[in-house]
Amino acid sequence: MTEDHRMADFMTKIEKGQKIEANDWMPDDYRNLLIKQIHMHAVSEIMGAYPEKEWVPKAPTIRRKMALNAKVQDEIGHGQILLRLAEDLSRPYGRGREALMDDLLDGHVKFHNVFHMPAPTWADAGVIAFLVDGGAIITQAMLLDSSYAPYARMLKRIVAEESFHMQYGESVVLALAEGTSFQRNLLQEAINRWWEAMMFFFGPRQMGQSAQKMMRYKIRTKTNEELRQKFINRYAPRLWALGMRIPDPAVKQDPQTGEWGYTEPNWALYTEMVRNNSGPFSQARLDLRRRAHAGNRWVREALNHASVKPSAAES
Amino acid sequence: MPQGEYLVYEVFVQRQALDFHVNVGSLRAANAEMAIQMARETFFRREEVYDIWVVPEHCISSSPHDAAHLPVHAMDKKYRLPRGYDNAPHWKKFKAKAMTIEDVANEMTGGGGEGSR
Repeated sequence: MTEDHRMADFMTKIEKGQKIEANDWMPDDYRNLLIKQIHMHAVSEIMGAYPEKEWVPKAPTIRRKMALNAKVQDEIGHGQILLRLAEDLSRPYGRGREALMDDLLDGHVKFHNVFHMPAPTWADAGVIAFLVDGGAIITQAMLLDSSYAPYARMLKRIVAEESFHMQYGESVVLALAEGTSFQRNLLQEAINRWWEAMMFFFGPRQMGQSAQKMMRYKIRTKTNEELRQKFINRYAPRLWALGMRIPDPAVKQDPQTGEWGYTEPNWALYTEMVRNNSGPFSQARLDLRRRAHAGNRWVREALNHASVKPSAAES
Repeated sequence: MPQGEYLVYEVFVQRQALDFHVNVGSLRAANAEMAIQMARETFFRREEVYDIWVVPEHCISSSPHDAAHLPVHAMDKKYRLPRGYDNAPHWKKFKAKAMTIEDVANEMTGGGGEGSR
């Protein structure tokens, strides 16, 4: 079969809503977009555990500490699962786990810097779990429909675990909202700090080339703007119900179209942050990651030498 | 293994694209190709399946089955489960609706939800 025919067959499959498996033929373009997306997703999960774990000693009750620990374990677990998918896709390029993790330390892969902005109070920890995780859940729920079956399957598992993250985030925010005026004030200030970042989180209305191609290949099924609208539609009314203000007077719903208004975030600032991993705490947390990765390399190597190859054991 | 005996293969089936493979039983076969053929004959004479795996039994390592080695719920783990958080009455107090992940997933995969109109 010629390359053109293969491509035509592939696109027919995609358009029919059929799923692609790791060992199926796929255009390089599709493979590379998947690697980019899943690699970014994986390292975002791993890097996302760093700001979270910092709250374990500072969390107000033992139950919150246990919940945070459980969340950190989940994020690392999700990172592992997703890295395996990225590794399978990277096989034709001869790149495995070490290479994919080195990419993170060498700045060759992006991650969600939005998790790495200043979070001075417990209310910030709550708002991150409520709004930022909430945004991530919306994105991941969309990916349940992805044309790449191994990704969609794993997301079923991930989203099921995120269910606890969602309830946890709500629980922290609700507890603050039901608290003293001091606590309610903390909550309001944290919302003020995080709202703009959430508008950035979903990306620009006019999507980049890669994002548009991902739509064509049905790797993702909704536009940045659709995701942002779903987010505002869920969270703005709830914040208001709690008696909180949204630090953007443009956030209101057009009664005719149902469309939500919002003020454009400072795209230049945030884009720069993603490009250079220059979120206020991104580099510090990358250093922690670097220490863990480089410092433990000898352990990985020792284990590698110590493990008996099955064929050798049998003969 | 007695001389001339075929290998035992464990059979795993994936019923639909978005399901995981699950073990349905085992069979003996001369090689992996035959094992797949046998698996069709033995387990899937009626149902449609998406994929079949056969794995030589000796390639599977399993954990010991006693409590000391398996993850057991020795303590209350509600703090890591969605049902450990009863947020609905709290949302109600603020006259807002509780959210569930099923609701979000349903909305994002085309099943309607809060965003649809």
